[in-house]
Amino acid sequence: MKGYRLEAWLTAISFILIFIFGGAISSIYILGIDAFFVEVNDLYRAVNYIMGFPQHYFLLIVLSWLGATLIGIIWCLAMDRLERKQKS
Amino acid sequence: MEGVLEREGVFVLGLILSLIILLISVGIGTWSRRLTRNLSDYYVAGRSIGTINNGLAMVSLALSLTTFIGLTALIIQGLYVAVAVYAGFTSAFIALLILAAPFLRRHKSFTTMAFIAERYYSRNLRIFSVIVMLVVSILYLGGNIKGIGIVFFYLLGVPEVVGILVGGLVVTLYVVLGGMYGVTYNQTFQSIVLLFCLMFPVAIILQQLGAAGWAFPPLGYGDMVPQMLEKVPHYFMPMVVHPVTYLAIALGSFFGIIGLPHFVMRFFTVRDAKEARWSTVLTVFLVGLVNTTVFATGFAAVYYMQAEGLVLPEAQYDYMVFILTEALAGEGWLAIAIAGSVAAGLSTVAGLLMIMGAGLVHDLYGSLKPEVDDQKKLKISYWVMLAVGIGVTLFSLNPPEFILEAIMWAFGIAGASLGVPIVLGIWWKRTTKEGAAAGMIAGFITSFIPCLFILIMGMDPTDIPVPVIADYLYGPLGWIKVIAISVPLSFILTVVVSWFTSPPPDDVRRSVDEMHGWQDYKEERYNGWGLPVVVIIVSVLIIASIFTLYDTFAHIG
Repeated sequence: MKGYRLEAWLTAISFILIFIFGGAISSIYILGIDAFFVEVNDLYRAVNYIMGFPQHYFLLIVLSWLGATLIGIIWCLAMDRLERKQKS
Repeated sequence: MEGVLEREGVFVLGLILSLIILLISVGIGTWSRRLTRNLSDYYVAGRSIGTINNGLAMVSLALSLTTFIGLTALIIQGLYVAVAVYAGFTSAFIALLILAAPFLRRHKSFTTMAFIAERYYSRNLRIFSVIVMLVVSILYLGGNIKGIGIVFFYLLGVPEVVGILVGGLVVTLYVVLGGMYGVTYNQTFQSIVLLFCLMFPVAIILQQLGAAGWAFPPLGYGDMVPQMLEKVPHYFMPMVVHPVTYLAIALGSFFGIIGLPHFVMRFFTVRDAKEARWSTVLTVFLVGLVNTTVFATGFAAVYYMQAEGLVLPEAQYDYMVFILTEALAGEGWLAIAIAGSVAAGLSTVAGLLMIMGAGLVHDLYGSLKPEVDDQKKLKISYWVMLAVGIGVTLFSLNPPEFILEAIMWAFGIAGASLGVPIVLGIWWKRTTKEGAAAGMIAGFITSFIPCLFILIMGMDPTDIPVPVIADYLYGPLGWIKVIAISVPLSFILTVVVSWFTSPPPDDVRRSVDEMHGWQDYKEERYNGWGLPVVVIIVSVLIIASIFTLYDTFAHIG
């Protein structure tokens, strides 16, 4: 794949992932409500828990932080490689 | 139990530590003056800043007084939604990284406004960008300097106006003297201070509340969740708002951080594109560490208020972190937390002052009088920076009431007005001057006018005289849905108008390849149909989603 196309695709995929991690993921919880919550007296409790936290809350804070950092690292490594090719 | 955090007399230890922070900041600014020899040094530190220095500087630029004061208050009021706001803000740095940072660095401008002018070959757009920059900077800034005054008054026992004047003038002094070198080294120092001053007190707070994982605040309070659910069963519920709210938060964070000129300006200071990339990764890791710690603080605040039966006026929610620290960690740690909040306030204000001064001299004055040489501009810069600092300090004596809300509006307006043309200018060669103008103006109008009604005039979002949309702005942070209209609308107009206008000149199209690091030029790069078509489809879907799903989620709001 040509360099600029790879750059564009990698950026697009990274953007989609961090858009989900950083904001849209909460919309996904609401739209997919049954997968994450059980209704108890008109309120909603999480179905699963991770490290004591409701699963959806844990995913929000960990993905928006460590998930986003990891995507950034991968993207930077790829761009470093592309830059070396551009200069050679 | 009613809590009031006002001191009788001066809190000496807190005042001493805060004054030490202020004095060190002035010292760093004074020392930095010897490094400033020309305009490039003054505005962008000679493009000499390294990865770690820039990364740390961006941390304190990002984490203003709102981190210490406003976010905890927001969590008390908004619970999960507030956490989602700052989760969006954390990952927004990666959006800044992948969409803009290294490309802007290769462009070699001094400011966002200069980039807009050169990419869109338009002096008028440069001037319009300066106006937008001033609006968002004032929204961002007024609350921060006032916050320093409030800290001095409520926590240190010093009259608020003294705190505002001292804080404002200290920042003005080291920005004027040291320029971007002074700002950068101060921000680095202030980052280290605020990391220490936030993390340790919160760990002790969690320990006192009985959290098993208190030594690692970001994830250390999981064992307290069952008790929280008994007291506040809806604490973790995301569905108290319409799902489009979270899309709006993401759009505002992601494109707002790209559009806010004081963030972008940091990338013009680093040595090269690689340092721009990796410094942003360092920033997002540390910003996330702090933000997840503040989520823990918000959790602890709500837990403590419920457990103690503490009733506070809403205006004092801002101080819960200090109330908790004093009650559970003691006065020593309170003094440290106060010093950290002062450091946080100074760092963000400095970055904003820098971009305002640079925008007025380099972009506005430089556009109107292009024949003026750089040495003269440098001399004018000192005076303009001083005038801006004094002006903003005086403005802060009576700023908007809600600090964090003003900042969130700044993100939204910046995203719709500046973030969109920056991103499209980097990734789509076909973006024209006319397209950018259409998008910027529409984005600004559709975000700033609601801001005037809601934030400045204090109207309820559902009562604003903006037909069609007002009815849908209900619920917690209901106004934020405005961003889910203004950012996509800006994208749609930029793309559509660009298609119907003449392509940019050859040199501008070449500059896009250069920004991406290519040594040669190829017309087909960043010039396809895919990106604009996808942008339009997604933008239309986001706008449409505001008006849909309301039957499905009738209980929301």
